[in-house]
Amino acid sequence: MDTRDRDSELAQPGVMLPDTGMALPPRETVDPSRSMAEMMVAPIPAEGADQAAEKSPTPLQDSLRRLRRNARAMVCLGIIILFVMIAIVGPLIYQHVGGIYKSSLYGAQPPSVYHSFSNQELDRLDEGPSAQFWLGTDALGRDLLARLMQGMLISLTVALLVEVMDVVLGILVGVLAGFYGGWIDQLLARFTDLMFAFPGLLFVILLTGIFGAQADVILSGLPLIGPNGNARLLLVSLALALTVWPLMARYVRGQTLQLKEQQFIEAARTAGTSDVGIILRHIIPNLFSIVITASTLNIANTIIGEAGISLLGLGVQPPGSSIGLMISDAANLLDTHPWEALLPSIVLAIIVLSFSFLGDGLRDAFDPRTKD
Amino acid sequence: MVQFLIKRLIGLIFVVIGVTFITFIMGYFSPGNPIRVLLGEHFNPTLEAQLKHAYGLDLPWYQQYFNFLTHLVRFDFGLSFRYENRSVWDILKDGVPISAELASWALLLQIVVGVPLGILSALKANSWIDTLNMGVMLILYAVPVFILAVICQVLIIWLDKHIGLSWPVSQWGNPWQYSWDDLKYKIVPILLYAATGMAYFARLSRTTMLEVLRQDYVRTARAKGLAEKAVIYRHALRNALIPLVTIFGLSIGFLVTGAFFIEYIFSIPGIARITLDSINNLDYPVIQATTVLLAVSVVFGNLISDLLYTIVDPRIKAA
Repeated sequence: MDTRDRDSELAQPGVMLPDTGMALPPRETVDPSRSMAEMMVAPIPAEGADQAAEKSPTPLQDSLRRLRRNARAMVCLGIIILFVMIAIVGPLIYQHVGGIYKSSLYGAQPPSVYHSFSNQELDRLDEGPSAQFWLGTDALGRDLLARLMQGMLISLTVALLVEVMDVVLGILVGVLAGFYGGWIDQLLARFTDLMFAFPGLLFVILLTGIFGAQADVILSGLPLIGPNGNARLLLVSLALALTVWPLMARYVRGQTLQLKEQQFIEAARTAGTSDVGIILRHIIPNLFSIVITASTLNIANTIIGEAGISLLGLGVQPPGSSIGLMISDAANLLDTHPWEALLPSIVLAIIVLSFSFLGDGLRDAFDPRTKD
Repeated sequence: MVQFLIKRLIGLIFVVIGVTFITFIMGYFSPGNPIRVLLGEHFNPTLEAQLKHAYGLDLPWYQQYFNFLTHLVRFDFGLSFRYENRSVWDILKDGVPISAELASWALLLQIVVGVPLGILSALKANSWIDTLNMGVMLILYAVPVFILAVICQVLIIWLDKHIGLSWPVSQWGNPWQYSWDDLKYKIVPILLYAATGMAYFARLSRTTMLEVLRQDYVRTARAKGLAEKAVIYRHALRNALIPLVTIFGLSIGFLVTGAFFIEYIFSIPGIARITLDSINNLDYPVIQATTVLLAVSVVFGNLISDLLYTIVDPRIKAA
């Protein structure tokens, strides 16, 4: 290696701001012939100044630009948006497609009936895709596409519910534990240990298994949620949220501990900002990247959790639909109608992989150092 | 190190008490009247009072919890609500060896296959082998095990139909016996059961190995002219394996979750399957017993990984 090269490499720590991970100007702009001392006091070369004058991008814009360049993450984001649209708008459109069907059992039926997820056409069981039933029917003559769209809606709704609880609880407890330490920190640590001992779904299985039937009775009176066997989903969401929030709180706590030592917090304190002000204005906004990354990755787990619980018969109850329930409905038809099990399985796999890849992309975008 | 272990043990006792308490309190507040269900049409108030007394359900909650704990310590899980005069252990005893067998093989496979795959990937980093390997591992890790299981079943049944494989996709052979007929039952579930953890071990060992290969001491070893094999096996590999020890407990957690799906989908009569059946039967003592068993096994998995960590990495003494 050339000695000049080596010099500039050695000088590199001098131009790196510790702990920001941002190398200031590119190495080529630093003249290696200058001495170390000269370099330390030298102003930032002109190139950097130009950029500043043009209004430099905020860290968030920077991260979003990195995310946009990540093709895999963007494709996954597209798939997720598409699936959300299908789940929300799909049934509304599908229920107006097709004419009156003369059912031999029930007489004339409009598409809003035979394209609903719970209608059973008992003389049209296990059919393949057709003009009337776009993805075919299941063993009870229910429209697979309608059931699939309802199942996707259920998955995404549960994911949203769990994430809201996860983020609120995680930030609240995590910030308090990180900012104040003391007993709340101890309590969080103990509680996290406890929830980690209940591996993954065991706690959820226990809770929904024991209280599921009761939840059906109590909650099925609620509008929107109650009918169609969805009552237990509230319980499932609560149970899932209880198992995941300690992890979020741990991430938040770690980040808060780091932030607390930063100079801008010290400056805010010197300026007379109260604790509440510091937390609301300076700490919580800075948690954005870690919270959004962790919750995206967590959505994948939540969706798997809901589908798994429904697969085991503890989640959505018939006549409701869930991707997990569809798989378990088709489980004993694998030899004659494998399509009915493969369809929900593949859709679930795509959803889960999309959220995982998007989460990975977000992590790389917000924190490029984690990339190997 | 002793201090570290004592600290961990105290934490462990706390966790075990917490787990048993949550399990107990859920059973305590569980809806329905199990005695009434048990008696069915023979129901009458005096009989109910007698049975309540026999099950200890007429005591205040703290006494019930205390009894629950003292019985647990003696490995006595009480009587089933569903089957009169059948102890919980009697119901579980056929399932335990099957679940243990599944878990042991899966754990072995995870480590013996997963770690070398990860190391291989790290050594060939950014080649097509690495890309392919990590792509497969990512899918195995991210796609839930029940999806993989359903797809495998469909595949086997399809092959069965077209080539006449006569390969079973449900039930379990004789526990801990490995004739060809038994193996046919066991191979697929064990492979699937191991998949998630294997992928996790592979991904993690690739990361740690890459990290170690960047360290100064590896550069030094290379600089002094050591053969590449010696550098990798004697210097890099050993250090790369240290962090893997810490996820031993985590992989037990994967196994417990996976057991519910694998045993459900392949109709394997292990303890997870028994738990699910008990949930449908509202047989709380069985549910409580299996929950405690599974949670405690995770806790001990964590303890073992802590112990291994202190052995493998002497620096932990300072902490």
